[in-house]
Amino acid sequence: MPRVQWPLMCGRPAVQVMLTLAQGGQPLTRDLLADTGAGSRRAVVDLLLDEHDCLLCGGSAHQPITLGGAYIGSFPTYVVRVQLPTLGFDRRLRVVTVPHVPAGFDGVACFGFLNRFTYGNFGDPHQFGLEV
Amino acid sequence: MSILADVQARNRELARQINEEARRNPHSPYAGKFAGIANGQIVVVADDLEEMARRLEKIEPDPAKCFSVEASRDYDEVVEIWSLP
Repeated sequence: MPRVQWPLMCGRPAVQVMLTLAQGGQPLTRDLLADTGAGSRRAVVDLLLDEHDCLLCGGSAHQPITLGGAYIGSFPTYVVRVQLPTLGFDRRLRVVTVPHVPAGFDGVACFGFLNRFTYGNFGDPHQFGLEV
Repeated sequence: MSILADVQARNRELARQINEEARRNPHSPYAGKFAGIANGQIVVVADDLEEMARRLEKIEPDPAKCFSVEASRDYDEVVEIWSLP
């Protein structure tokens, strides 16, 4: 089964996704905190990113989503193309934009996104990975 | 108001109306569907986000003129983010 693994960042699980710049179509990689505490299986949120990234990558506006906990209020939401080439993953996802992201990361991969895959350290405590 | 801002305002208002209608009437043609809006008009109704987004991109390549909504969804429902930013 295809699997991709990344070293922990700041001692925390990370995933690297590929976005696509609207101008020129070049890839834009983003390192995200893999956070199973962000959202739930029922939640409609896949990723949290900076709004600038969504606009750079041609995200189209979606109905704003209401967050609670670490972020409180209604936040602009975009539909953005997200890829994990190693896994053959290429989907348009709902991305909520937040005013600040966890230090050392470009955003957050929420439980809704991680739960699309089999995830974990796969026996290596220094890495985090996704498998389909 | 600029032309683009006017388009975006019309898109948002239409999305609000679609969602309100779908939440009020389960037999609405939009109930449970993903609606894609461009330039103030509904241009796509699809069963899933992926299909809606791909079709919307083809119809209106400028994302600034597009908007989408999952009709029937309660967007006031709070999504809890436990992690500290």
